Amino acid sequence: MNRILWVLVSLVGAAAWGVIALNRGETISAAWLVLAAVGTYLVGYRFYSRFLATKVFELDGRATPAERLNNGRDYCPTTRWVLFGHHFAAIAGAGPLVGPVLAAQFGWLPSTIWIVFGVVLGGAVQDFVILFGSMRRNGKSLGQMAKDEIGPVTGLFAMIAILAIMIILLAVLALVVTNALKDSPWGIFSILCTIPIALGMGVWMRIIRPGKTVEATIAGIILLGVALVGGRYVAQSPSLAPLFTHGGLTIAWGLMIYGFIASVLPVWLLLAPRDYLSTFMKIGTIVLLAVGIMIVRPPLQMPALTRFIDGTGPVFAGKLFPFAFITIACGAISGFHALVSSGTTPKMIRRESDARLIGYGGMLTESFVAIMALCAACALDPGIYFSINAPLGALGGTVQSAAEQIRQWGFTVTPEQLTALARSVGEASLLGRVGGAPSLAVGMAHIFSGAFGKNLMGLWYHFAIMFEALFILTTLDAGTRVGRFMLQEFLGHIWAPLGRTSWYPSNLLASGLITAAWGYFLVQGVLDPLGGINSLWPLFGISNQLLAAVALCVGTTLIIKGGKARHAWVTLLPLTWLLAVTLTAGWQKIFAPDPRLGFLAHARSTAARLAASNLDPAMGARLIWNDRLDAALAGIFMVVVVALVIASLREWLAVIRGRKPAVVKETPFVESAYAS
Amino acid sequence: MRADGRADGRWKRFVSGFKRVVGMPDYPGYLQHMAERHPGCSVLSEREFFEVQVNARYGNGASRCC
Repeated sequence: MNRILWVLVSLVGAAAWGVIALNRGETISAAWLVLAAVGTYLVGYRFYSRFLATKVFELDGRATPAERLNNGRDYCPTTRWVLFGHHFAAIAGAGPLVGPVLAAQFGWLPSTIWIVFGVVLGGAVQDFVILFGSMRRNGKSLGQMAKDEIGPVTGLFAMIAILAIMIILLAVLALVVTNALKDSPWGIFSILCTIPIALGMGVWMRIIRPGKTVEATIAGIILLGVALVGGRYVAQSPSLAPLFTHGGLTIAWGLMIYGFIASVLPVWLLLAPRDYLSTFMKIGTIVLLAVGIMIVRPPLQMPALTRFIDGTGPVFAGKLFPFAFITIACGAISGFHALVSSGTTPKMIRRESDARLIGYGGMLTESFVAIMALCAACALDPGIYFSINAPLGALGGTVQSAAEQIRQWGFTVTPEQLTALARSVGEASLLGRVGGAPSLAVGMAHIFSGAFGKNLMGLWYHFAIMFEALFILTTLDAGTRVGRFMLQEFLGHIWAPLGRTSWYPSNLLASGLITAAWGYFLVQGVLDPLGGINSLWPLFGISNQLLAAVALCVGTTLIIKGGKARHAWVTLLPLTWLLAVTLTAGWQKIFAPDPRLGFLAHARSTAARLAASNLDPAMGARLIWNDRLDAALAGIFMVVVVALVIASLREWLAVIRGRKPAVVKETPFVESAYAS
Repeated sequence: MRADGRADGRWKRFVSGFKRVVGMPDYPGYLQHMAERHPGCSVLSEREFFEVQVNARYGNGASRCC
């Protein structure tokens, strides 16, 4: 019976891939993508993750850290489906939503293949191996594992890489929000409202009714709805709208001030309530989107492959290989997950065997979110998609110039359509809103209004924007805090008081430095004539994938030292692919001769324009400096990873050749009391 | 609405599961843990427990993702 079921699942998945492969230019329904993806996930989970769990990791009946160290708080055995939800909420963020939307400029086919097979063979394996390693070491972090199993210098490199990646991540996410909110009174008003709502919840949970988190969160959600509807009123009011209409630079400064203040306030006041709200919204919206896609089953308007695979795409520069694979980071494989998989989750696993559902299954779910984001973006008319995602510099400032430019790219859209779309979502213009969030919101609004009520486009659009902005702002706060703690650890080596996290001046200094760092890249992105996403998103993708390479190096070391060298291909395969992708992309971003693609080439072309006095000297000098800074950063990422790979390689060879014993630093075996 | 004890238990489990998914402190779960594992020990009040938990979860920067 069971066997018949799995044959059936495999056949459905294979049939869906067949429909995808055999379509000859006709439009197919998004439902086929969803079916193909889910079929592959199920087969991958049932067979591949089982192989990993039983043969490679040999999960057994030993007691987990949660059982041995149970303190009813952070170490706490948790039912596996509850922990699955908790882990998924911690790994899912804006990344899997934005990446696939940007990569849609290549068409839906390459992204689909990478998201689905990348996760089954790469991303889910990475999350699972790190969760497994951390679970066997009482919940140690990725950095600690790198230090213990590979060497102290490696640990330091990993720490520096994590800090640099964090800064780029925060800058690029802040840029996504900035582009979604600029000149949008409705958006700005509803996002601003989330701050007093969260503060109110914080005061309620701590002072008025201590510990009553559920009632505060429910009240918060209701107030968010009020803020959303109120935003429409504000946008339509001639006296109020100008107060909430701001350009990119003002919003960028606002975000920096917010990030700085939020990261030095006590956590109960702003961060915790915000996190409850955004987690709740995240899970709710993702479920809603899945239901919406299954009800509407929108046809994919975007071609399977576009002409932009040759590297001339307006959304970001670069060819299909390697840029599709770094643009879609989080949906297929994401280094950041290694931080979560070696954070709170391993301390809550009840039984070892649960790690398979949580580590591998959690990442499959994240990949499914990426597939849905891709469906939402590709269900849009391609002309509309490019009008939102191409930079204003390419489109020109008017709907007429935009329609003409899009016609030259080979897609049709009329100026009237563009105006009508902007009006239907309550915005003055959607042209050149790069960053992925607005086009995803339009796609989601189409699906939601198709499934749950027409004539509500504006409300659904701003609901989607609020949902994205809400958890990006939470990430800004939490990320600035993480960066602050890491920086204080470094600064403590220079002057001990700076390392004390209880000393307020040190906190202010470190938070200020971290905010200034990501704020610098944010402002650079806002002022960039190419829209900023073109330079920042690839940097983020490269850094995130390189962190994944670090995690896979650690994973491979754990497997080899565990005496399973013959199975080390499970992590070496994705590692090799990631190194090929990221090192190629990094090299091209630095040295490519095309000024749209290569940072140094762009610096040279700017210098030439300066020499011909076609450019303001101060502006030119700043652009050149930024190009060189971006190039240096990409170079540093590459050097750190190559150094890490070499250090790991030496360790692996030493173990395989028998010069070092194959011993892992796991905590000793204790029999579990839970029945399996 | 909750006429018998079993439905009551199910509701409590649901709330406790929801809290853990979102990452909220689960005070009843903590009380139960203390009663089962450390009977006789003094327990934190709901306010103290909330503070300890929130600081532990967010105090040194919540680990979260893109």
